Amino acid sequence: MSVNRKALFRYWKVSQQSRVVATLQYLVFMASLVWVVVHGANQMGYQWQWYNIPEYFYKVFEGEIYPGRLIKGLGVTVDLTLWCVGFTLLTGLITALLRMSDSISGRWLSTIYLELVRNTPLLVQLYLFYFVFSPIFGIDRFWTGVICLTFYEGSFVAEIIRSGVQSVERGQWEAGDSIGLTRWDNYRYIVIPQAIPIMLPPLTGQIINLIKHSSIVSVIAVADLTTEGRNIIADTFMSFEIWFTVAGIYLVLTLSLSMFVTWLENRTRVRT
Amino acid sequence: MIRKNKKPRLNWIDFAVISSVVGFLIFVVLRVDSVLNYSWNWNHVFPFVMYLDEDTGQWVSNLLLEGLIITLRLAVYGIIISAVIGVVMGLCRISSNLFLRMVARSYVELVRNTPPLVFIFIFYFFLSTQLMPLLGIDELARSDSPAVKTMIWILCGDPILFSNFVSGLICLSIFEGAYITEIVRAGIQSIPRGQWEAGRAIGLSRIDVMRYVILPQAVSKIAPPLANQFITLIKDSSIVSLISIQELTFMAVEVGVSTSRIFEVWILVAVMYFVICYSCVLFFNWLERRAARSKR
Amino acid sequence: MTDTDKRVIRLDNVSKSFGNFQALKGVSFDINHGQKVVVCGPSGSGKSTMIRCINRLEEHDGGSITVNGVELTDDMANILAVRREVGMVFQQFNLFPHLTVLDNLTLGPMRSRGADKQQAQGTAMEYLERVRIPDQANKYPSQLSGGQQQRVAIARSLCMKPKIMLFDEPTSALDPEMIKEVLDVMIELAEEGMTMIVVTHEMGFAKTVADTMIFMDHGEIVEVAPPSEFFSSPRSERTQLFLSQILSH
Ligand SMILES: Nc1ncnc2c1ncn2[C@@H]1O[C@H](COP(=O)(O)OP(=O)(O)O)[C@@H](O)[C@H]1O
Ligand SMILES: [Mg+2]
Repeated sequence: MSVNRKALFRYWKVSQQSRVVATLQYLVFMASLVWVVVHGANQMGYQWQWYNIPEYFYKVFEGEIYPGRLIKGLGVTVDLTLWCVGFTLLTGLITALLRMSDSISGRWLSTIYLELVRNTPLLVQLYLFYFVFSPIFGIDRFWTGVICLTFYEGSFVAEIIRSGVQSVERGQWEAGDSIGLTRWDNYRYIVIPQAIPIMLPPLTGQIINLIKHSSIVSVIAVADLTTEGRNIIADTFMSFEIWFTVAGIYLVLTLSLSMFVTWLENRTRVRT
Repeated sequence: MIRKNKKPRLNWIDFAVISSVVGFLIFVVLRVDSVLNYSWNWNHVFPFVMYLDEDTGQWVSNLLLEGLIITLRLAVYGIIISAVIGVVMGLCRISSNLFLRMVARSYVELVRNTPPLVFIFIFYFFLSTQLMPLLGIDELARSDSPAVKTMIWILCGDPILFSNFVSGLICLSIFEGAYITEIVRAGIQSIPRGQWEAGRAIGLSRIDVMRYVILPQAVSKIAPPLANQFITLIKDSSIVSLISIQELTFMAVEVGVSTSRIFEVWILVAVMYFVICYSCVLFFNWLERRAARSKR
Repeated sequence: MTDTDKRVIRLDNVSKSFGNFQALKGVSFDINHGQKVVVCGPSGSGKSTMIRCINRLEEHDGGSITVNGVELTDDMANILAVRREVGMVFQQFNLFPHLTVLDNLTLGPMRSRGADKQQAQGTAMEYLERVRIPDQANKYPSQLSGGQQQRVAIARSLCMKPKIMLFDEPTSALDPEMIKEVLDVMIELAEEGMTMIVVTHEMGFAKTVADTMIFMDHGEIVEVAPPSEFFSSPRSERTQLFLSQILSH
């Protein structure tokens, strides 16, 4: 049994030697990819200006360090993401509760919301919010971005919460009932403590998605990292350098969260 | 939902929900009518989907419908190309060859950890300046051969936009391919290891085990998330409007600007996407139910 | 036949580790043509690991394993050749759920022995009759009972015309009333002279069939003896303890 339950192909053994060979192959492969890009760019007379990049991170003026445009953009991205995380959790929680409630209109409302979000593109939702809702409610760009992303990601969070709660076995509910717990106590002492470790990894994954999707607010000119990148490119034509730098910053953000998720997953797996 | 024994009924939650929804709607209507003074004019917008040509008496498709067709083309070709990428990369992902695994892993992680927007911009820039000339797509589009011309017309629409369409398609396919890679990997890995061992034990080679034992079983696990990915692809295709591929979202921006019927255009376009995606959902659900029923 | 010709399996000081955990610590024994060996021992003692090494579902990392005169190395051609000679029956049956019983049986002969379809189906029906379920040929595994599935799995291995059969706890996933039908098939097979290694805790079966008992514990072979000796006067204390536990119910 212990053998059969292990995932298929987990057991490929890699000898030290083939590990070295593969790493070398990989490095050569990646180097040739880079070469192709660089060579191609040089062929069309692209002027590489990597030396100009640092000034977009920080500037030194009269002995003091000021953040550059990319860092300012990153600040906006982080700001936006943090607001969204809070609102998204709230939206997700309310939606999930409504969906699991025994109220008719609550279920209807949450279902309509979920289907609407799932079946339209994020970009179209953003245009809708920007062109239609923000004039109606008189909201500025930044908050339009926050609300739109919250609206979008909230649907995913709702499903994560719902499936987390439902993954707690029925027997657990019944055992709670049998020792005379109220519905609320059942949630609080039996279900939620078991559901939270299950929900944590996908929730963190959702924050990663939030960071990625937040770049879409550049379409409505919120001054986030992507917008700053686009603006700098418009000024300087350093397309490759800026895009790679911007992508690199996002990668650092998301990959570090990714690693956190993997770590979380391993930890919960050990405990269960 | 957990407690199936409880029948849905009206209670205080309904009171809260209904009153807030109604309040919200009243507020919106009041704002639109009195504060913004917006006068709706749907008749101005519908002709951008299609209109009746007075002279010929025929219905003619207009910008929005043409955009929708491009969107659907992107989605259908995109799912095919990205499925091919996904199967190849998915097999690499579980290959016994570490080099292939590393390459596939890098591809997946790179795509999944960069924002779609940034990915599309980088890739489009790279593609349009380097790869397209290399592939000779432009020449193909400018080709005089009538056969090629009709092919392009039928498959991709206006030859003038052919190279543009192809770059959008490639961007999108490479992007979605990473997600399909993971679907394929998960599908194959969901087959219990005992199947693999039993196959090896009756003397099948690794490739034969894959082909006759693992893949046939994996297909039924891969199909539902793949169908889901098709819907995601329809939605994600709206992003390529930002690199001027003239699909539905791009056309919506154009029509919105030129008519300034902004509310109507965006509501209409959102409804169009919804109808397309939701009918796909219903269709796939129906297929799945039918498959489940025909299964022993 | 000379003495060395009769020796079909030879394990010499075989060891195997999973990470830091040593599952096999220098296991050695020989098995002759036609010999029936029953392996027992507590859970986690390395029984499965040992017989999985024999058809290389696991790679051993020390010592040597020789099957039918072929030493098991990384050479893929060798491994395939050995696997064609060695049948394996799993605890979990591992039938292919997407194929009918008949297709389960013909896949191996057709793909790895190059048999044509008719020939393979003929053989398959023959073996289905031997395991007494010819009428189930066109059903899918999920439509069969556990006992029937395991018999199909045995037939599937036999279709490859193996010289040696390995059984890894073939009855421990079965409901009690189905155990006998599987054991009966195995007993018949033994009577026909098949070389067998069986990991099982069915001591009644062991007494009837085995000519050698092997007791394993902590990745080592603790005791090797003919069943008469093994059950009446086990030498090692660990064997005694194990037997007292397993025979007490
Ligand atoms: N693939 C594997 N990875 C890690 N440990 C394993 C693996 N297979 C077996 N083991 C370990 O090796 C030991 C022997 O296992 P096994 O041969 O299955 O024992 P038995 O069949 O006698 O119950 C056990 O402790 C088990 O946990
Ligand atoms: Mg075992």
